[in-house]
Amino acid sequence: MTVSPIDKIINELASDVGPVRPLRAPALRALLAIAAIGLAAAFAIVVLGDVSGLRNRYAGREALLALEMLAMLSTGVLAIVAAFVVSIPGRSKRWIAAPIPFLALWLLFSGLGCYDDLVRRGGVGWELGESIHCLRFVAATSAVFGPLLIWRLARAKPINPLPVALLGGLGIAATSVLVLQFFHPFAVTFIDLAVHLVAIMIVVGVVGLVNRRALAPA
Amino acid sequence: MTAASGDSQADRWGVLLAAAQLGDADAYRAFLNAIIPFVRAIARRRCWSEDMAENVVQDALLTVHRVRHTYQPGRPVAPWIAAIVTRRSIDAARKRGRIGRQEVFNEVAYETFADPRANEPLEADASRTLAQMVGGLSRGQREAIELVKLREMSLAEASEFSGQSVASLKVNIHRAMKKLRISLPKEPPE
Repeated sequence: MTVSPIDKIINELASDVGPVRPLRAPALRALLAIAAIGLAAAFAIVVLGDVSGLRNRYAGREALLALEMLAMLSTGVLAIVAAFVVSIPGRSKRWIAAPIPFLALWLLFSGLGCYDDLVRRGGVGWELGESIHCLRFVAATSAVFGPLLIWRLARAKPINPLPVALLGGLGIAATSVLVLQFFHPFAVTFIDLAVHLVAIMIVVGVVGLVNRRALAPA
Repeated sequence: MTAASGDSQADRWGVLLAAAQLGDADAYRAFLNAIIPFVRAIARRRCWSEDMAENVVQDALLTVHRVRHTYQPGRPVAPWIAAIVTRRSIDAARKRGRIGRQEVFNEVAYETFADPRANEPLEADASRTLAQMVGGLSRGQREAIELVKLREMSLAEASEFSGQSVASLKVNIHRAMKKLRISLPKEPPE
């Protein structure tokens, strides 16, 4: 009697089966990763950040600052949670869209802040020179947070790694820009905002490009 | 299959997979055998040929094995399996598309004559060219190509037959293929 290829595969897989530890719920794994990144970010802000400078720059505009930072935080958190959720087969793909409304709000509040700054200070702050530091900062911070997040995401061996990588990249970039606010030597201008967006796109693009290599998909 | 019986069947799959996660080989074998019709049904719906569907079924089983740790016991197992099979079907379709884009259909290459004798001069030319190309290989390379590529022996069988080690067979095949590629006529035959 001949054995069909499928029966052969089943026999081989069954003889190869060993105990595996099921992954915990993706939301819980995401929260653990966020907590680790949050702790590292908080440490950097407390030790090296300029919180009083941030307060001074946004004096009289605290509500706008709070909304902007809340939108950044929500984008980062939701992108990371979504990356963990969609890395598991069979989970809702709607999670992919979860951070998008908050990303839009972030851009809206940042844009309002930039417009406000433009009205107050005129054309000052349009130079690209200072903004390049922002790009370097976001790239460097992402290079620290990125490997940690990717390592955790790779545990799921995502069967479709691209959305996982893009969401992870967005989560890392949003977190980095949030941390940047505490190191920013000046109020955000339109040029800064554009540079921040470029930095986010670079981080998301790089993580997206290395998705297959980095996430060890099944 | 009624909804209730389908649910209880899926529940049973979940129990078997949870047992497989603990290393129970019999439960795993039962799980894989039980899901085959479900996997095959999804693959057939998404593939345009029976061959492709069977390849997707095999690929999906291997993927199930690699990601079995991502199943959370107690959760519905059918969407988990369906997502894996769907993804593998998409991957297979893309792979086929890529191959299709890279390979060019050449009508002339398949042109032949009704009378088999009319094709003989061409076949003789092809054989002569091939013989010349293979003649340019070293004895070890020629032997490796003949046993592994032309007679389709496994490396172990070829090694036993020729006395060459598996490693030297691999090196000889690699070098021979390189040499054959270089000595291929640049212009395709008219």
